[in-house]
Amino acid sequence: MRKATFHLRDIILLALIAIIFGVIYYAAAFVYNGLTVLLTPIGYGPVANDITMGIWCMAGPLAGFLLRLPGASFLGEFLGAAVEMFLGDQWGAANLLSGVVQGVGTELGFTVTGYRVYNWLTVILTSITTTLVTFAWDWFRNGYSHFAPTMLIVMLVVRFLSMLVFSGILVKLIVNLLVRAHAIKG
Amino acid sequence: MNPSLKLILALIISLEITFTTHLVGNLIIIGAALVDLAWHRVSPTKVVKLLLVTLVPAAALFTTLAFFSPDHDAFFATVLVSRLYCYVTVGAAVTLTTPKLALIRSLEQNCHLPSKFAYGFLAALNLVPRIHQAVITIRTAGEMRGVTLHWWSPTLYFKAILNAINWADQLAQAMETHGFVEGAPRTAAQTIPLQRKDWYWWGTALVLVQLILIALP
Repeated sequence: MRKATFHLRDIILLALIAIIFGVIYYAAAFVYNGLTVLLTPIGYGPVANDITMGIWCMAGPLAGFLLRLPGASFLGEFLGAAVEMFLGDQWGAANLLSGVVQGVGTELGFTVTGYRVYNWLTVILTSITTTLVTFAWDWFRNGYSHFAPTMLIVMLVVRFLSMLVFSGILVKLIVNLLVRAHAIKG
Repeated sequence: MNPSLKLILALIISLEITFTTHLVGNLIIIGAALVDLAWHRVSPTKVVKLLLVTLVPAAALFTTLAFFSPDHDAFFATVLVSRLYCYVTVGAAVTLTTPKLALIRSLEQNCHLPSKFAYGFLAALNLVPRIHQAVITIRTAGEMRGVTLHWWSPTLYFKAILNAINWADQLAQAMETHGFVEGAPRTAAQTIPLQRKDWYWWGTALVLVQLILIALP
């Protein structure tokens, strides 16, 4: 292990990455709204949230791969939420709650491996843990207990696929590029 | 109210309404948050904009629960919509009435957030315009070579993160050369007071919220 705690540089880096993601996927908010409007008439409006969920959770796994420290993934995701709050998106302080939930979700994927494995297995593990933890949170937040069972299954599967594609595969591809450029350890 | 206390209150309220289903309670909280926003003279257009943006997820949630779920529970759907608006208005009552700098200073001074987090975060936050510019530059540079970088292109993130690594190194070095030492005791040029008055307000608001959520339907 490189070092035991976060230093000033790490904190700035994580916050910067959170901002970069915020700036880039500002566009994804339009995707979300568009999808919601499209899917609402057929009763699948909330699925839009699951389709884009993987995009909102990218900062966490990336931070985990980048710093390889216990807590890095959580901190990356949480700082991302804090940045969103400070830049004034609609959810305000509630962002911090989602940030904690998503952070715990992504962090667990690394915890399961004891912070030793950083390969495609980790990608799949973080995707699974993030899907489950965020789904459990939304269960209460968005009243999933009143949804039709088939709908819930569709949402869970869609959410997992979104996690796998965006906060899994896309993040791993970015990490691979960084490793090849010797910007981080492979 | 002290910025940190305000934030903590908003978090407690948001957490509580997630696990309760009280329509009237939610509506009162929304009303109180709107009054607070008006009290602080937040521009009404800003507030209206926030409320309109939230219509999209609110409508999606409502139609699904009221028309497409097994029990067609319109009441429950209304509760959830009011809950979404609670999050938005309560959140806005914190972020739109508190300057960022005051909140971060307060978290450092009143809540003992380590200064490396407070100042590291602030340093990054001040780079937002440059990051914005950098992303545009990377995209334009790509287009000049005939490559379009979409938001799902790994290359776009890769280049932006390389920038971020450089900036983080430089900023940390700059702060350290200016005498910033992690964990060293600091004095504050501008103190954020945490007075007895703040605690009274906070306590009263917290008790009121409990009463509203327990007593009302």
